This record gives sequence, structure tokens and C-alpha cells, in this order.
Amino acid sequence: MGRSVIVHENFLRRAAARDFPQGAPPSGPLAPEDAVSIYRAACTSRALDRTSREMQRQGKGFYTIGSSGHEGLAAVALALRPTDMAFLHYRDAAFQIARAGQVPGQTIAYDMLLSFAASSEDPISGGRHKVLGSKALNIPPQTSTIASHLPKAVGAAYAIGAAKKNRPEHAELPDDAIVYCSFGDASANHSTAQGAFNAAGWTAYQNLPLPLLFVCEDNGIGISTKTPTGWIANSFKHRPGLKYFHANGLDIFETYRTAQEAAAYVRTRRKPAFLHLKTIRLYGHAGADMPTTYLPREEVEAEEAHDPLLHMVRQLDQSGALPAAQALEIYNDTADRITRIAAEATTRPHLKTAAEVMAAIIPPPRPCKPTNGPSAEARANAFGSDLKQIDEPQIMSRLINWTLTDLMLTHPEIVMMGEDVGRKGGVYGVTQKLTQRFGQARMIDTLLDEQSILGLAIGMAQNGFIPFPEIQFLAYLHNAEDQLRGEAATLPFFSNGQYSNPMVLRIAGLGYQKGFGGHFHNDNSVAVLRDIPGLILACPSNGADAAKMLRECARLAREEQRLVVFLEPIALYPMRDLHTDKDGLWMQRYPAPDETIPFGEVGQHGDGDDLAIVTFGNGNYLSHQALPAITSSGIKTRIIDTRWLSPLPKDALTAATKGCKHILIVDETRHSGGVAEALMAHFHEASPAKLARLTATDSFIATGPAYAATMPSAASITQAAKELCK
Amino acid sequence: MRKAVLICPGRGTYTKTELGSLARFPDRNLLAHFDARRTALNQETLTALDSAATYSVSKHTRGDNASALIYACTLGDSLALQVVEIVAVTGNSMGWYSALACAGALTPQNGFEVVNTMGTLMQQSLIGGQIIHPFLDENWRPNPARRAELLAIAAEITTRPDHTLTLSIDLGGMLVLAGNEAGLKAFEAAVPPEQGRFPMRLANHAAFHTALQAPVAAQGRAALPETLFQQPQKPLIDGRGQIWWPGSTRKAALYDYTLGHQVTEPYDFTAAIRSAAREFAPDLFIIAGPGTTLGGAVAQSLILSHWQGMASKADFQTRQTANPLLVSMGLPEQRALVT
Ligand SMILES: Cc1ncc(C[n+]2csc(CCOP(=O)(O)OP(=O)(O)O)c2C)c(N)n1
Ligand SMILES: [Mg+2]
Repeated sequence: MGRSVIVHENFLRRAAARDFPQGAPPSGPLAPEDAVSIYRAACTSRALDRTSREMQRQGKGFYTIGSSGHEGLAAVALALRPTDMAFLHYRDAAFQIARAGQVPGQTIAYDMLLSFAASSEDPISGGRHKVLGSKALNIPPQTSTIASHLPKAVGAAYAIGAAKKNRPEHAELPDDAIVYCSFGDASANHSTAQGAFNAAGWTAYQNLPLPLLFVCEDNGIGISTKTPTGWIANSFKHRPGLKYFHANGLDIFETYRTAQEAAAYVRTRRKPAFLHLKTIRLYGHAGADMPTTYLPREEVEAEEAHDPLLHMVRQLDQSGALPAAQALEIYNDTADRITRIAAEATTRPHLKTAAEVMAAIIPPPRPCKPTNGPSAEARANAFGSDLKQIDEPQIMSRLINWTLTDLMLTHPEIVMMGEDVGRKGGVYGVTQKLTQRFGQARMIDTLLDEQSILGLAIGMAQNGFIPFPEIQFLAYLHNAEDQLRGEAATLPFFSNGQYSNPMVLRIAGLGYQKGFGGHFHNDNSVAVLRDIPGLILACPSNGADAAKMLRECARLAREEQRLVVFLEPIALYPMRDLHTDKDGLWMQRYPAPDETIPFGEVGQHGDGDDLAIVTFGNGNYLSHQALPAITSSGIKTRIIDTRWLSPLPKDALTAATKGCKHILIVDETRHSGGVAEALMAHFHEASPAKLARLTATDSFIATGPAYAATMPSAASITQAAKELCK
Repeated sequence: MRKAVLICPGRGTYTKTELGSLARFPDRNLLAHFDARRTALNQETLTALDSAATYSVSKHTRGDNASALIYACTLGDSLALQVVEIVAVTGNSMGWYSALACAGALTPQNGFEVVNTMGTLMQQSLIGGQIIHPFLDENWRPNPARRAELLAIAAEITTRPDHTLTLSIDLGGMLVLAGNEAGLKAFEAAVPPEQGRFPMRLANHAAFHTALQAPVAAQGRAALPETLFQQPQKPLIDGRGQIWWPGSTRKAALYDYTLGHQVTEPYDFTAAIRSAAREFAPDLFIIAGPGTTLGGAVAQSLILSHWQGMASKADFQTRQTANPLLVSMGLPEQRALVT
């Protein structure tokens, strides 16, 4: 017999016999009506858990991880407001159900059953996944990746304070809201979680507002691995900046009282708190997990004896809110009701085609108020003495700086965050003077943690900001990459386009940096950014393109809610000359602020039809260097700058190379998994031209004199071109 | 036992053919109590109104008469129900007061006090009027664009000087709009006539469920104490689709909603039916009380809620013929199914 049946039968028998587990009597401010509400939410949650197992048996449900044992979370929900954005642990069905009772017109049981049934009518994910979540209830859906929602919860909490001074057009949260974020006891150990606790504490420690309530649902175990006794309490009791609260989640009166105290602390002090809630886990980890295979049966049964629903019936009866007999009736009526609703929900349609599944990868565009840009006076003020040089050719880093200045002047909701972006102005000076121009609130010098930087950006985006986070070096994206891949990119997908986290992530990277160089600062792999559905990867090769592309990226984020990565080639930041010392050929004038390069438009230099060199970034620069030698050997050549590395602008590439007899792909990223693989495949499919590629080797980049040895050079490009066109 | 949601109708349902309905009222003492209360208030008794030789629009549709009449007919029907288990109660507009009583949140006597007081107050002030217009075509196919269009017309009208016109009731495939005379007239001029009847003014109706009723709401709160209210015995679904559950209803909140939001904000009957269907999945929707006009709105609301895959009038009719989903107690043959 499955544990869910045993727990169910125990409940029926013991509630009828008034055979209750021992526990504290009810006390505190929980009103009797609210206590009954909590119990009703708990019964609904329990019935949904049992029904999800039944649905799976019938092949009509697809996911059974449940909330049984964690029903006390309904009491936490009632201690909060439905406008407090909630990032939920997967065991928080009771929280969501209780919150639904706070917002008129919700049909929570039907909605959750549609999600269990993976029906396309599921109001949160549109049938893509069983997730908790609701736009109306301010519950963004979460992925199953443990703890990955904690960094963005920190970001969302930070965004409440930020919006108070500078409210974005698309802000969602009221000024007095708090953010709620829950997780399991095993999850609390995850480095992502630890980073978020640390970031929250670090922020609050300096008295910056961070209204965030963490709730650790401590059932003492993560799948089969026990949390050492006392570990959570002892790890979190004395964290700087983080106030610790504790309650027994089996006691809804105590839970409500403590959650109210914790929420009041967070709301009035605008500081983070950690509520440690004791829960139990009934029926093992998920559907197929049998706890008795790794725990002694007596231990499993001892936990089951403390079924929170039995504690609730006891306390409701003791407090006079509801006689036990009526509580039993509610349990049975609810179970019956949920079964009936499930019978309807399972008849609803499912997604069928790839196009239907994919329809939510890209969120819908959002209407934005038109802006006329800054006044001449505001511009003059911001640019200061830079304005005198604005008509002179400049290096790329300067042009990016000016572009950022104009964008921040035009869109007050743009904020930047990163390591050393503010006071220092970035390690390459790209964000210099922006703090003086726009203040520290919009130029955030973060702590040294890439997951926290991206989490801050994601969270702020969820409250209407347009974050421009910066990762100092491409190599350091990798330990935080899941925040893009698993979180930012999937949010529209799992919310059917209802939630989004648009941003422009600036990353300095790629090779060819003389002297400094080396893998640590010149990583040359973009593979992790190229297979993420919905993510746009842009890479300029010169200052004017950088300015125009960055403006387009800002528009894509602001108006189309897109997730954009803007990869800035470090070696080109200071590049002045192309062929000879002081020729100044790689500097450009600042393009007028309304000039942009539309998403997907490629660059073209020349129109020779013997050879098209298709490249990007440093490769474009090197190809220009190689061009005289190639043309002088009689090969009529054009150079195509791909500019947009993901998704590849395939049609534009095909059009730009039309009629060319040969195509040489020059790719500074690695041979394996590099951009050239995709370009080769595309031209192979789309073009009759003879193809060849020149790529970096499958190596890390060395520092010192061999800094460029593994990558294409002007000489190797010339040679490859001549060989191809022989 | 089949599970059913009970639906209490609103104003405008007691028409000529309903004369004599109270003959069916199952509790003579209760009816005598209502009549005594009416006499004490110098109002014509329900029995007298119901047994009048002829139906008088000017008399029978007045708020101070119609409300209590409809309430009594509805309550009587709910008391007469057999062979079904009522799993939730809801209502349309004034039917909310009946629903409160049918669900046990008001005793039958207190329900009478609330409905008669509010009906009388509405009649005394008679602020503004209502007009009804469909946004579904005759096949009842969902058409959200047309609904948005009509609301946009109203939104534009209400910006004109001395014009008010706002949404009053979302009534399945119809919108009931309410406002002042100028607003109502402007709407009549703005939309092409449809189905030979629409846009249709509702005689003797005020601008219910709009801000214009704020004085009536205030008078209602002054006249009716919170102590009249109690925990519902059955789940109760309001004009936002919100469910008030037995045991977890805060009386003060129910009172505030009933004599506040419910009076001055739009009433979403469609949402009420959506919640009834989706959260209770009943075998039957039973419309109590006089008249048969609410059936269409219930069916349309179910279509708009994608209930059981119904997407048109034909779908509903097929379902209804095969295995009735909707029972109007005003129709004798359907009434027989549940009494
Ligand atoms: C990053 C990551 N690693 C592993 C898993 C697989 N996994 C899912 S739940 C879980 C245990 C979590 O335990 P706990 O945080 O205590 O939550 P509980 O299930 O007990 O409520 C694990 C290891 C995961 N989802 N994500
Ligand atoms: Mg655990």
C-alpha cells in the first residue's frame, strides 16, 4: 500500500476517533475564521496531492511531487499580502491555495488541476509544465533547479526599494510590498542559496533596504539525505544582516503568529529575515520514491503520526473554531470536490505541436510610453566636457560609454549592476563617469558574486527595471550561467509569456588582448550562450556598430522583453589603428542617438563575389587587416560581419553572400562548439559556394607572447582565403 | 445524489407570467411573517401583489415590490428542492441577497429585511438606469473583441460632460451598462440595434452596481446592522466569483462586501458561474425563483468558461438535450426534475 493511502486512512480513522497527536494548544492572534481557511487550504492541497497520484496512474497526470506535510504554509500565506511577490518552494501548494482566497474570483483547484493535467488551458504555464505559479497571485513560476530562485528573490526585494525613488513604467510591486522566498532544508546548503543569503545579509548590513522573507521548510531530509540535527538553526541564527525566526509548521497558530512577526519585521524595517519552519515530509520525496527503502519503517510511521492535518483538526477543535466532526466533513467534501474537478480538468486540451510548445519562448512585446529622448540641456549636463569631442573619431569603449549615457538619459528605468562598474567605472573604463552622471542607485557596485549580479538583474527586471548587468570577464559568466539558462531564459516559457525578465547583459570577453590576455580574461567560448532558446547574443566589432547595436538591444529588452547578451570584444575596446600606427582607421564618430542597427542585420564591407569572409568580433578586424593582401592577389572579396551570434541571422547571411563563389568563415571561438560550426552548417544547407573555415584551436588561451597563437590571424586568414579560391 | 449549484435570479424576473408563483411557497408561516413585515412598513403584502388580478408594470417592477417578491419566490424554490445536494449558492445582482439567505448567511427573516430594505432604498432614490446589450452573436460564440468594443464605447461616453455610463453587470453574453439618462441615450445612439430588441432599457431599474449607488449603500449600512449576518452553511459565490466558505467567512467582510462593493462596483455574474463550474463541477445548475430569463446568461457564462468544451449555443443545446445541465425552476417540466 502506498504511503499516501496509509496517511489518508490514518487521518480518517484518527480524526473520527478524536485520536490526535500531542501538541501545543492553540494560542495567538489567528482568528477562528482564518484558522478554518488555513485548514480548508490544507485539505485542498492534500486532496490535490492524492489526486495527482491517481491522475498519474490513469496516465492523465505527469508529475507528483507534493506538499503533504507542508500544509502549514497556508498559515504563512495568510500572514502576507497577495501583492507580496512569492518565489515558492515546490511544496507550497497550500500557500498558493490560501493566497488564492485573498484575491477575488480565483478558481484555484481547477487551475492547479489543469496544470497537473498539462492542459494548454493551465493559466500559468499554458500546459508546458506542472508548476506552482499565478500572475494574479504574484507567484512567478519556479524551475526545479534547487535554490536557483533565491538570487532573483534578493533582486526583486532590492527592486522594491529602488522603485520607491525611481518607479519604472512597468513596475509591479507596491512600495510597501515584501518579497517571499521559500526552499527546503537540503536546498539551504546549495551554493546558490548560500550566495543569496550572503547577498541579502551583505546588503542589509549596509542598511540598504531589502524587504525579503526567506522561509526554510525544514522537513529534516532532502530526498534520502538527512540534514544534521540543529544544522539549519545553528547555521542561520547568527548571520549578519539576517534576522532569524523559528516556528513549528505543524502548529498553524504558532506559524501564523511567527510569520506575522517576521513579515512585520521585514515590512517595517525593510530588512531580510529567515523564518525556519519545522515541517514533515509525507509520502517520500515524489511519486516513485519509497521512503521505507532508506528510512526505518518506524521512523516513517512516527512522522506520519504527526500529520499536520491531524494537528489542525485538534487545534481547531480545541480553539472552538471548528468541531472535529465538521473538520472531517470538510476533508471528505474537499476530496470529493477535487475528484470531480479533476474529472473535468483532465478532459481539457493539451499542447500538441512544436510551435505550440515554443509559442512562449519569446515573451510578447509590451507597450511602452514613447520617449523623445533627453533635452539638449540634460545631455549637455550629463556629457559635460565629453560633448566637445563628440564629433571626433573615438575608440569603442568610449563610444559604448556615450551610448550608455544616452540610453540612461532616455530611459530612467535602466540600471547597471556589476563588479566595479560604478566608482571605478569598470575594469576597462567602459562605465566611467556613469555614477557621477546617474548616481549610485542606478550604478550598483555589487558584491563579488556573479550569481548575485544576475539574480539582482532578474529580480529588478521583474519589477519593471531594465537591468544592464555586467559580467567583468566572460570566463566568470560560467559559474553563474544557470541564472541565464535555467532562470532568465525560461521564465516566459514557464509562465506562458506572463512574466518576463528583460535585460541587456554586458560581458567583456574574447581573445587577442596583448600582454594581459590569457584564458582568465580572454575566454573565447560562447557556446553556453548560443543554445539557449530565446536568448539574443550580440557581438559588435567596432565602436559605431557597438553604439547602434546596443541601442537596438535596449529596445529589444524594453519593448520586446527580450533577454539579450552584449558581448564586448576586450581587444577592440582601445583599438585605434587598422594597418599602420596612427592610421586611426578603427575609430569612429559617435552615431547620432537615433541611429540603430536592427536585430538580425549583418554588416557588409565590399561587394566582391569571388570570396565572402563571414566573421564577427576580432575576426572582422583581422579580416580587414588581411583584405589588401587578399585583393591584391586578384580575389574580389567582401567581408560580412555576422554581428548577431544567436539566433544566427540566417536569411541575412544568405542574402549577403548571394552570388559569392567561396565563403571563408573566420571564427575566433573554438573549433569544437564554436560559432563556425553553425555557420558552416547553415551555408552548407543554404549556399552553393565552396566553404572553408578558420577557427581557434580547441585550447585555452595563453598569456604572454603566445596570447594569439591559438586563434586566427591576418596572415592565416590571407592564406586560408588564397587556398580556398585557388 | 446529484450535486447542484443553486442560482438566484435578479431584478426583472418577476413578470406577468409569474403572478401566482407564491402559491407554491412551501412555508406559510414564513410568508405570513414577510407579509406582516410589509404591512408594518406600510407596503402592500407579497401575497396581495402576487395574487393581483392583473400584472402592473408600474407596480410589480418597482424596487420596493419586485425585490421582496423575487426574494420570496427564490427562497421558496430553494426550500422546495429535493433529490439534489446543493454544493454552492450564487446569484445575479439582487439575487445576491437571495443567495445569502439560501446559503444560510442570513436567516430567511433577515434576508427579507436586507432585500426589502435595499429594494426600497433603491426605489426611493432611483438614481440612473440600466441598459442591456449582447456581445455574443446569436450562436453565442465567444467574441471578446466585441465586448471590449462595447466597453470602449461606454468608456468614451462617460468622458463626455454630464454623461455617465459604466459597466453594471457582466451577464454571460450580455453587458448591462448603467448610467444617467444622457449616458444611456448616448449608448443607444452609438450602437446599431441588434436582434430586434437591443439595446434594451430595463424599466424601473436604477444604475445598480455603479458608483452612483454610493448613497444607497451608505443608507443600507445605516439601516442594516452587521449582526444580521452569520456564517454561511453552504459555499456562497459572489459577484466577483469569490467563494465565501462555511466556517471561514468573516462576517464583517461579508457585510462590507454586501453593502459596499456589491452595490457600487460592477457585478460579474459570468465570474460567479465560472467559479461555480470550475470549483464545484456540479451535475446541475439550478435557477430558482421566478422567470426563465437567466438561463441564457448561465449557459453563455459556461461557454465563456470553456466548461466541458462547450463553445456555442448548439454545443450547449446538444448537451442540455442529452443530459440536462441547467434546470429552471420557473419551467414546470424542469422543476419536476428537482422537486
Ligand atoms: C541543483 C539541483 N540539484 C539536484 C536536484 C534534485 N533534487 C530535487 S529535490 C532535492 C532535495 C531537496 O530537498 P529539500 O531542499 O530539503 O526539499 P524537500 O524536498 O525536502 O522539501 C534534490 C536533490 C535539483 N532539483 N536541483
Ligand atoms: Mg527537506
